[in-house]
Amino acid sequence: MTSDTTEKHRSFDKQRDLPDEVRVENAMAGFVAEFGPKAQSWMNACVRCGLCAEACHFYLATGEEKYTPIHKIKPFEDAYALTHGPFSWLHGLLGRKPKLTIEELEEWEELIYDSCNMCGRCTLACPMGIDIASLVKDARRGMYAAGLLPDRLARIVRNAEKQHSPFGSPEDFRKTIKEIEREYGIPLPLDKPKADVLMTLTPEALENRHFGVASMARVLHHLGLDWTFCSDAFEATNFGYLSGNMELQGALTVRLIDKAREIGASMLIVPECGHAWGATRWEAAKWYGAPVDDIRIRHIVEVLADAVEDGKLECRPVGESATFHDPCQQIRRGGLEEKPRILMRALGMELREMDPHGLDAFCCGGGGGVLANERAGPLRLKAFELKKRAVEETGADHFVTSCNICEMTLGRDIEATGFDKQIESLIDLIGANMITDQPPLKAPGRGAKPKGAGKRAAGAKKAGKGRSATRRKPAAKK
Amino acid sequence: MAINKRHSAVRLLWSLFLLAFLMAMPALTGNDSLLAQESSAARAEPGPPNTLGKRSDAEIWHDLRLGAGGIANPPTGSREAGAVINAEGWEWAKLRNPEKSPIVHYGAWGLLAILGLLVLFYLIRGPVGHGEDSGRRILRFRLSQRVVHWSIAFVFILMGLTGLSILFGRPFILPLIGKEAHSILLTAAMQAHNLFGPIFALFLLGLFVHFLRGNFPSLVDIKWLLKGGGFFGGHAPAGRYNLGEKAWFWTAVIAGGALSVTGFLMLFPDYLATRNTIHLSELIHAIAALVMIGFSLGHIYLGTIGTRGTLKGMVDGYVDENWARAHHDRWLEEELEKAESGDQARETAEEGA
Amino acid sequence: MTLLELLEGPLWIASASIFVVFAAFRLIVILFTGRREAEARPVGSPFLGALRTILGHFLPWRRLLGNGKAWFVTIAGYSFHIGLFVLLLFAAPHVEFIREKIVNLPWDPIPRWGFILSAQFAFAGLITLWVRRFVDPVVRLISRPDDHVAAGLTFIVMLTGCMALGEQSAFLRGLHLGLVELWLIYFPFSSLMHTFTWPFSRGFTGAMAGRRGTRA
Ligand code: HEM
Ligand code: HEM
Ligand code: HEM
Ligand code: SF4
Ligand code: SF4
Repeated sequence: MTSDTTEKHRSFDKQRDLPDEVRVENAMAGFVAEFGPKAQSWMNACVRCGLCAEACHFYLATGEEKYTPIHKIKPFEDAYALTHGPFSWLHGLLGRKPKLTIEELEEWEELIYDSCNMCGRCTLACPMGIDIASLVKDARRGMYAAGLLPDRLARIVRNAEKQHSPFGSPEDFRKTIKEIEREYGIPLPLDKPKADVLMTLTPEALENRHFGVASMARVLHHLGLDWTFCSDAFEATNFGYLSGNMELQGALTVRLIDKAREIGASMLIVPECGHAWGATRWEAAKWYGAPVDDIRIRHIVEVLADAVEDGKLECRPVGESATFHDPCQQIRRGGLEEKPRILMRALGMELREMDPHGLDAFCCGGGGGVLANERAGPLRLKAFELKKRAVEETGADHFVTSCNICEMTLGRDIEATGFDKQIESLIDLIGANMITDQPPLKAPGRGAKPKGAGKRAAGAKKAGKGRSATRRKPAAKK
Repeated sequence: MAINKRHSAVRLLWSLFLLAFLMAMPALTGNDSLLAQESSAARAEPGPPNTLGKRSDAEIWHDLRLGAGGIANPPTGSREAGAVINAEGWEWAKLRNPEKSPIVHYGAWGLLAILGLLVLFYLIRGPVGHGEDSGRRILRFRLSQRVVHWSIAFVFILMGLTGLSILFGRPFILPLIGKEAHSILLTAAMQAHNLFGPIFALFLLGLFVHFLRGNFPSLVDIKWLLKGGGFFGGHAPAGRYNLGEKAWFWTAVIAGGALSVTGFLMLFPDYLATRNTIHLSELIHAIAALVMIGFSLGHIYLGTIGTRGTLKGMVDGYVDENWARAHHDRWLEEELEKAESGDQARETAEEGA
Repeated sequence: MTLLELLEGPLWIASASIFVVFAAFRLIVILFTGRREAEARPVGSPFLGALRTILGHFLPWRRLLGNGKAWFVTIAGYSFHIGLFVLLLFAAPHVEFIREKIVNLPWDPIPRWGFILSAQFAFAGLITLWVRRFVDPVVRLISRPDDHVAAGLTFIVMLTGCMALGEQSAFLRGLHLGLVELWLIYFPFSSLMHTFTWPFSRGFTGAMAGRRGTRA
């Protein structure tokens, strides 16, 4: 009943050594660069009804009005009003350059980076159909240009810029691929000069989820695809997309697609990741000025589901009940709603849907760069309560998802709250239970215990009888 | 998401809309046809029979007043078919005479006196406080309560201003602004007053259901009264609402109800009422309006500058715990107990939002 | 020239022109300037997606069917907007005015009781919505001065309109007309532009969803 009045706290990080005026100017320029028919239609349609708040997990979990979605892009809107508003021409007449204040930008850093997953749930609630997720992404461009983004995210971006991937260099990649080959006794095609399919990975898979990499490889072998990893184009995640660094976003996407063209591939496969799907499948066209028609950009979940439907992939029935966490960028914003469900059925699992699920599902809370941003941890944990309740209500035995970021987020939140469920990977379940002539995956030997995958391999054998022990230690802090 | 409780309130609002719609329908349709019916009736019917004087004058007057049938034929829709002259109208005219009416006279003095008392009280006692703020807040009014309250407050002020113009226009405003401006003011006031009337009635229903809980009399009220409501120093105990507030609630409901009913009668006279009921309605309407406006002055005073921190409760929904301790200690205790016995803190925070 | 003649003549022309010219101008700027980008190869139909969202968002989102605020906004919102459209386009004095100044409307005006009833719906909706702007912490936080001015101006136009219902006074008619003109001038530069932007806002979102084979 009684609640403490919340204090205003300031939390923002500053990157680079810039005078405040330059930060403000950069922010304005970054915002203005994103104004176009879409953003302008959206901003001019808002009637301030507040319904978007009723959809956002951060508002619902905290009840704090500052987490109202449309409020999160206020500096972006303000920049629009200053430069394109009804009285903006007055500034021109008077020879003034209208500006935001540095204080406003600093204050909004938290709202733009910590409290939005760009999950698009609020879009569905808005009577005017305003896509706030897109506007938040647009707004991040200005914030990035101003150097006003969380330290942790900025560091990962720098890594991605300097050494190819937040995971490491092509050299690191080659080493890890060899290591996984040895661990699981599975050949991993690397740097083939020509191949029909270019396969990509997430840093999380390379660091902590080797079993998942082996599983994916096993399925691709099983399907008889001519595929390869490329050590100079292996990174699927896109921290340009998440941070507002548009040059980086473009460079990373172009690197993948150019590589696919170089090796004569007809297909580029996006791994278990959500925003990689958005960046590659839905936003690649903008870097080429035309749709990418010569290469099919496909999601691994989609590839597997289609194989199941074509009768090319079958699994031993796992039985038991499971609930599926819908990764926003794959499902609500990615168009893959049915695909993971096809795979769940193929695994013979009784699917118990959460309330809400599918297009209406709550985000895991880690998307949109929020997981990478440690500062947002406590807020994220509050939002996790909604997910936790939804999972509990299904009473399902398994808690499955198809995105590494969701998995990491949920894994950490489960750890932090002592929730008695584990989060499992759909691809791992397929890899462990597919019916195939492919040689079985070797359990990693003792001694040289591979990262986080020990129990997973064991689980692979037992998976037939249910609960694959996919519990593992929380992902190592980078 | 603890939003289901709000749901029922909204359902209610919706049914009220429908109700108002149904109430207004038949009545409104009749309004236009009044003149047409009256004149055609007058043309079509023959004059009063027995013009040769076979009956006594007294008999004829009796018939004219009470409608013996056949003498005249006023509008068919009317409840008083047959009556031509209304004798009680004389009394009514005296009461409503703009220059000499006791209603106008006492009404004006009464309102001025209340205003004077409030100013005096403010000058002597000043705003009533509750010591330091505790920094802890507690939910007092849900969002739907706040919306209903301010919606009716808004409409009430509009109705009050336009209504008072009609009541006090001739004696007080006309001399100030002249005949022409006054006639413009009055037609404007009357149109607005008529149009907002049904909206007021609708919102009043909303007010009733949203504020009924807590407004029933209880034993604490006597203690509160004995302590002078705490207005003259000392602490007066109270539950969710104190005796003064309860009195205001029931005044608003009863006087407001009377205003609504009599207002409807006057909006649709030929369908709903006889001339006498209309006259009575006008009197009741004026008196109820004065009572409600008078009381509202006190309510508004206490809700704004009279007590520190009260307005916040009706705007944000939350009040400071020390405010509650000073003004509504029993209620605070109950709420704190509820909070302890259940994990309700989160829910109420959401409701308040 | 009397003030009323001025309001009915040159000022009416001026304000109506400002409304038309600037509303069109702003729409053109919104729809045809700034960054545009190539779109990905579609899986579904962007056009059908747009259509779906444009129509679908007339109803509250299915997940909000248990949500009081969504019901409130929907009911009060429709009460206000439908009431407003009816009295704007079908009330006798308005029909007459539009016929005289703009086009010969093909329909007959509604009877007076319909006019008054729709005004009452419009007022009840607008008042509750506007009041909520002050007492709902979420809506209060996000409301801009513009939102209050838009609501207030619309309210005043409606109020003076209903005060002119007696149709006896040139002054009241002039007052109503003058405020209508002020409102027309304010319109293109304000959030009232949502009258025209809503299909584009919903449409862009729907097209994006349609292209991606999902729904919004
Ligand atoms: C078909 C077109 C329209 C649509 C879809 C639409 C939709 C909406 C919505 C969803 C709201 C939010 C209600 C809220 O505050 O919660 C709103 C508010 C409002 N609309 Fe419209 N509208 C339309 C046309 C118009 C027109 C033509 C006018 C002008 C006369 C108008 C004037 C307003 C005003 C003044 C508000 C603010 C009410 C407030 O204070 O909350 N709208 N509209
Ligand atoms: C501008 C005018 C008004 C102001 C400033 C005002 C202010 C307030 C405030 C601050 C409260 C909260 C008191 C508390 O916390 O206990 C309140 C309560 C209340 N108000 Fe008003 N009010 C106004 C007009 C009205 C009108 C016109 C009505 C009725 C027609 C009304 C009916 C109520 C009722 C029923 C309550 C609940 C307490 C009770 O039962 O008396 N108010 N008002
Ligand atoms: C409750 C709402 C409204 C009511 C009851 C109302 C009523 C009226 C009435 C009675 C007249 C005729 C005045 C006379 O001849 O003396 C009138 C004229 C007019 N109204 Fe409204 N009106 C309302 C809202 C609006 C709105 C929202 C607009 C436009 C945005 C509007 C635009 C006009 C125009 C342009 C005229 C013509 C003025 C003239 O003939 O001089 N009205 N209205
Ligand atoms: S996109 Fe998702 S996280 Fe961001 S504001 Fe909307 S609902 Fe909240
Ligand atoms: S739901 Fe849409 S229209 Fe309403 S406040 Fe949010 S963004 Fe604006």
